[in-house]
Amino acid sequence: MEGKYAIKVEKLSKRYTIGTKKADSFRQALGGIFRKKNNAKTSFLAVDNLNFTINKGEVVGIIGKNGAGKSTLLKLLSQITKPTEGTIRINGRVASLLEVGTGFHPELTGRENIFLNGTILGMTRAEVSRKFDEIVAFSGVEKFIDTPVKHYSSGMYVRLAFSVAAHLEPEILIIDEVLAVGDAEFQQKCLGKMKSIAGEGRTVIFVSHNLAAVKELCQKGIVIEKGKLVFHGESSAAIQAYQSSHGSQSHYENKSVTTDKTAVKAIALCNQALQYCTEFTVNEPVLIDVDLNIVSNSTEYAVFIQINDQFGSPVFAAEKQISNQKMTLEIAANFLTRGNYAMSCYIHIPRLERIETLDNCCQFSVSDATSSLVIHGNYNYGPVFGNFKWH
Amino acid sequence: MSEKIIVSNKRQLFPDFSEVFRYKDLFFTLAWRDFRVRYAQTTIGLMWALLQPLITLLILSLVFGTFIAVKTPVPHLLFTLAGMSVWTYFSYVMTNAGSSIISSQNMIKKIYFPRIIIPFSKALVGLIDFGITLIMLIALMFYYGIAPTANVLFAPLFLILGILAALGAGIWLSALTVRYRDFQHVVPFIVQIGLYLTPIAYPAEYATSHLPKWATTLYYLNPMAGIVQGFRWSLFGGEAPNEFLLITIITVVVLFISSLLFFKRIEDEMADLV
Repeated sequence: MEGKYAIKVEKLSKRYTIGTKKADSFRQALGGIFRKKNNAKTSFLAVDNLNFTINKGEVVGIIGKNGAGKSTLLKLLSQITKPTEGTIRINGRVASLLEVGTGFHPELTGRENIFLNGTILGMTRAEVSRKFDEIVAFSGVEKFIDTPVKHYSSGMYVRLAFSVAAHLEPEILIIDEVLAVGDAEFQQKCLGKMKSIAGEGRTVIFVSHNLAAVKELCQKGIVIEKGKLVFHGESSAAIQAYQSSHGSQSHYENKSVTTDKTAVKAIALCNQALQYCTEFTVNEPVLIDVDLNIVSNSTEYAVFIQINDQFGSPVFAAEKQISNQKMTLEIAANFLTRGNYAMSCYIHIPRLERIETLDNCCQFSVSDATSSLVIHGNYNYGPVFGNFKWH
Repeated sequence: MSEKIIVSNKRQLFPDFSEVFRYKDLFFTLAWRDFRVRYAQTTIGLMWALLQPLITLLILSLVFGTFIAVKTPVPHLLFTLAGMSVWTYFSYVMTNAGSSIISSQNMIKKIYFPRIIIPFSKALVGLIDFGITLIMLIALMFYYGIAPTANVLFAPLFLILGILAALGAGIWLSALTVRYRDFQHVVPFIVQIGLYLTPIAYPAEYATSHLPKWATTLYYLNPMAGIVQGFRWSLFGGEAPNEFLLITIITVVVLFISSLLFFKRIEDEMADLV
């Protein structure tokens, strides 16, 4: 009766229609009765014929680019949306964590929100009461537990929200990128908690851009590209497959930018000659051209660009208030060492909210034939050349 | 551990009630959240639950009781309050359940739970306000020295009918609004005309005596007409509910069951639509 698998997916597909939406208003629907059905809608498969099995107790990382279908797959596995085709078999109690603090209400106190969020995540009130002290202790907001969360700092808010989620005791846990929260110390705490959850023999499905975290936490990896499964196997092999499969992309363009919203229209990696480029040498600068769509009143917006190494660990980041439609970030020559890098770009209102997230939208490599460290071959001497002097 | 199978082409007709029951804590928590949030930042708190129906009551009583001098078996103020109590519950639940799915879209996109819990929870929140008007009603009965008749045993029946009618309308509207936003604008309209088309400030005979038989049947297709009348009968007695009560019961049952069926049809695509 009891199968060995936790989740078994067969011929799973999810189709979305884009462009002309379904009748939005009743009038359109009424009109639709008299008009001939216009089936010229464009549709795409966000998830395309997936087949895989996840065994009990496995910790599986799902990797893929933006728009590869990871989020849709998670939504399908956590029953938020229904598949267009195919079957999902789930063996055990599932808790999914696609966001921290779902249902949190700013007017309610920390205590009240713990109960609210806990029950939304599928716990009973009795379960929440039982773990209440543990949750509060983990979050470190004891003093403010009876203060409405609208007075919390964003860090406290996120810590409390994650603490509730961390104390779920499902047999299958589905997590999306929630580790990208809080300060470094709290992130370490979260990673530790996730490891212990995984260590208790529970099944964990983990989606992240943080390849380093995937490598550290997961035994198995699934690589998804354009809705299709490209690789399923050991996590380190999966990371390699992911890196080699998607190659390097010198520019990113968003064709669906609307003029009423501040957003990135295009980002490009260029060399000194201002040509698109993905392969640089250590002694030439890397130019990142950001082309923005700016709405007149968006002066408080800022651009944040982060460079990650091949394992997904951040190397450095740059922040700048948006001033121009075109902005260029120049990474000086002789700064990055040889290796593969990816760039992420965010638009945000400082300390308030993130407007746009483009994780790993461009990738490039740096080769080295000239520096003094070349003699060390493949030895990992860090992602940057130090700024130092010998005396 | 039970195995759960999600198949693309398998659709259930009704919500899975055993699952809904498993989420009963969420049901209570959501109701309690609404209640807390509603009065969290207000200075006079629960007074608001009193004030709004009280003013409507006074206006209705002034216009119908004093200006038009409608004849009622008990003092007009008491007569109207009895009708208002059920009607206010109905309009509160219908309005809030109707917009509940749209206003919970952040939750719906991020986590799974039986969606029907959201409109259901509004029926519970509404009972708090209803309880307050009920206390006002009892106080007013004391003031006028009017004791309830033995019919009061039937009052719970009419309350249950009222809850089912309010939920039926609310669930229909919540699912329709997900599909067609236009229905958001329909709700205030229903509340406004319903207040006059339902015999709240006047006895139903005022309406039915002016209407031919077929139109009377139409009049009772508004489930609240029969419910308000029945609830008042259970308190003050008078002419017993007539054959039109059957229409009310059938309408309520059909409304409620059809709302569950329709909601279930929309439920699967809610996260994609909202």
